[in-house]
Amino acid sequence: MNEPFADAKVLHTLPWNSDVISAVAFIGNDHIAAGNKRGDILIWNVSAPEGKTPDPARRLVGHDNEINRLLVTPDGKTLISASSDHTVKYWDAQSDQGEPGSVVLNDGIVPIAVVPLKSKLPEFPPPVEVKVVVQKPIRDLTNHKEWVLGLSQTPNGKTLVTGDDKGVVIVWDLPAGKELHRWQTKYWARSLGVSPDGKTVAASEFYSFRHPDPQNPCRSFQLWDVETGESKVDLSKDIKETMTDVAYSADGKWLAICAGGSGAEKPAGTVTLLDPATGKKIRDMTPPHALGATDLAFHPNGKHLFSSGRDQLVKIWQLEDGTLVRDLGTAKERGNWISAISISPDGRLLAAADGVGQVVIYLLATA
Amino acid sequence: MDTNLPPATCNRQQHLSRRSLLKGTVLTAGGMAVANWGALFHSQTIAAEAKRTGKRCIMLYMEGGASQIDTFDMKPGRPTAGPFRPIETNVNGIEVCEYLPKMAQHADKLAIIRSMKTKSVDHGIGGYHMHTCYPTSDRTAHPEIGAMIAKYLDNPAADLPSFIKMGAAGCNAGSGYLGPKYEPFELGTDGRLPNFANPSVPPEVQDRRAELLKFMEDQYAKEHLARPFASHREAELRTIRLMRARKTFDVGDEWEKAKDRYGDTKFGRGCFTALKLVEAGVPFIEVGHKGYDSHNDNFPCHKALLGGLDPAWSSLLADLQDRGMLQDTLVVWTSEFGRTPLINTQAGRDHFGRAWTVVLAGGGVRGGQHYGSSDRDGFEVEDKPVNEGDYFATIYTALGIDPRVQHYLGARPIWATPEGSKPIKELLG
Repeated sequence: MNEPFADAKVLHTLPWNSDVISAVAFIGNDHIAAGNKRGDILIWNVSAPEGKTPDPARRLVGHDNEINRLLVTPDGKTLISASSDHTVKYWDAQSDQGEPGSVVLNDGIVPIAVVPLKSKLPEFPPPVEVKVVVQKPIRDLTNHKEWVLGLSQTPNGKTLVTGDDKGVVIVWDLPAGKELHRWQTKYWARSLGVSPDGKTVAASEFYSFRHPDPQNPCRSFQLWDVETGESKVDLSKDIKETMTDVAYSADGKWLAICAGGSGAEKPAGTVTLLDPATGKKIRDMTPPHALGATDLAFHPNGKHLFSSGRDQLVKIWQLEDGTLVRDLGTAKERGNWISAISISPDGRLLAAADGVGQVVIYLLATA
Repeated sequence: MDTNLPPATCNRQQHLSRRSLLKGTVLTAGGMAVANWGALFHSQTIAAEAKRTGKRCIMLYMEGGASQIDTFDMKPGRPTAGPFRPIETNVNGIEVCEYLPKMAQHADKLAIIRSMKTKSVDHGIGGYHMHTCYPTSDRTAHPEIGAMIAKYLDNPAADLPSFIKMGAAGCNAGSGYLGPKYEPFELGTDGRLPNFANPSVPPEVQDRRAELLKFMEDQYAKEHLARPFASHREAELRTIRLMRARKTFDVGDEWEKAKDRYGDTKFGRGCFTALKLVEAGVPFIEVGHKGYDSHNDNFPCHKALLGGLDPAWSSLLADLQDRGMLQDTLVVWTSEFGRTPLINTQAGRDHFGRAWTVVLAGGGVRGGQHYGSSDRDGFEVEDKPVNEGDYFATIYTALGIDPRVQHYLGARPIWATPEGSKPIKELLG
């Protein structure tokens, strides 16, 4: 019997270099939504056969700053986006109705590793323009007053938790889009995970200082009571790195965190499993990303965790013993990092978004 | 980091402080000063001296290179813009970054030079150039701007140092050819005195020790006529004088009331200490703000730093104005260079000298204006380029110092700014 994911391979590479692609989420098993730092969201149907790269079908217009995170409700009906324009928006994930429009897929600047002292805008190639259906949000949540980077939901789709750079964490009735309550954290509330039972929010807070003060590094990691907004467990002294993502497994057995920082922190890209109740460390996954880790996703099989990193790798970990199953991609020291990943509900596909301006769709397993 | 050194080890700042303190007193007058020390620390006397000598300068130095596009020269809607948004200020036509909301209310005080075009675009050489006005390739040991200002604005009777630095050091050139008298005195990052400056004995014991030392060295000097002995003695005595003046550096009680406005950060406390030192007559204080070298993660990095910069800088300007001191106190906001318009693969901005921004306020400078401009994406200066010499000449002129003042290294003349340097007349009142 083959090792799990031994046959994983690239199915599609979806080009979109308007800006860094910063978030991805599967809608059902055959559509992928991706958001970029310009504030655009595109949706592709990726059911096309291998080798036939699909064009985006829909363009979601409404944000005017970076898309930081995307998620899709468990029923697959609603796409939710969190942005640096201070809003959280709901989108009809399934409708293909909208205004006719277009999108240019190659109007951005491909970033280079080190910008020379004398530079200018590059010559842009002839535009690759694709016709799409343009859609608008069906709901705006405007209660945040700063960049929204924290976004998590319960598996039953009833509770949404969001966090912003003013340190405000808001608990929402997700279907109604109604704020239930909120609390204040000390630093930016950038990475949130709500437990499957909806009772606990694990939150990584920090200020992104290049040279943090050893006496006051301005970062914290705590488990919060959703009902009271009070800290239940403060792990700030135990967790000394800046955590860029927090995720509970759907069965509630695991709480995963990953360290990202600026890449200057050592160890750079550690992925760690915690006990969801106590926050006590169970194990570090080894070996870590050589550079900071950026995103986490549990595989629906309940046995594997995926992480992405600034080393341009997606790492697949075995939960039971923390061993590395395999890497996807080719490691680079100073490339365009993989900023976000998503796994389809059936576990067959993985989407990895990167800074070059492409979404790579991997086929993890045949049906 | 320096602060991770073992407790018994001097960090670099402390080491330099000791050394520079000793070096910095070589040329002061002899024992006559002893009788005056006590009275000189009376605050009213200090304030009167400060008023008599006039101009002062506080330099806020953004170590690592602050990004002009993310602060004062924003490019909304352009590919180089990044995620920060501009906000209006109290001056029509001037916009600043949304993370400088308090500074936006002081735009009427700011002269924003958006056309800096400088040549030294790495930290060591850039820090040296923007502190001395000369490139490192010029082999003369040029003095830092603080030493030059100390030379011309110093009150020789004052016991406080005339050139004080705190926070991140962008340059260690010191007093250069001006000699050890104008070496910087370095405080901790938050403006606190280094530990060695805390005396272990009461003032009366210090006096007795000083007199004994003087007696012994006088006796020795009768048989060994050499300048170093007087110099050494003066260094010792100046140290004691500084220890007596240490209360000037102790802003603890006032800081408790001020920290909400300045921001409870080391840089905030440093700015507040600078205010108190200017009030006490110190002609030049540099306050460093560390961490702008954002080759990775430029935006969260700048966002975090601007969160500390904004309350500190704005409160400093407000307090100087409230005390009637802004007209005579030039506040300079600068770096060793700016940052690239293009964003690299690490979401960072790299070093950039072709079109960046510095800001002047107070000291008679006309606020509420931009000077010069960069092109629409920020790659080049479009109008009124300003080089290092022009920048220094503007500062010196604002402070009443001739930017072409000559000094001699042996028989060789050296100027405070290179030939051709011109003060920006439009900015000077």
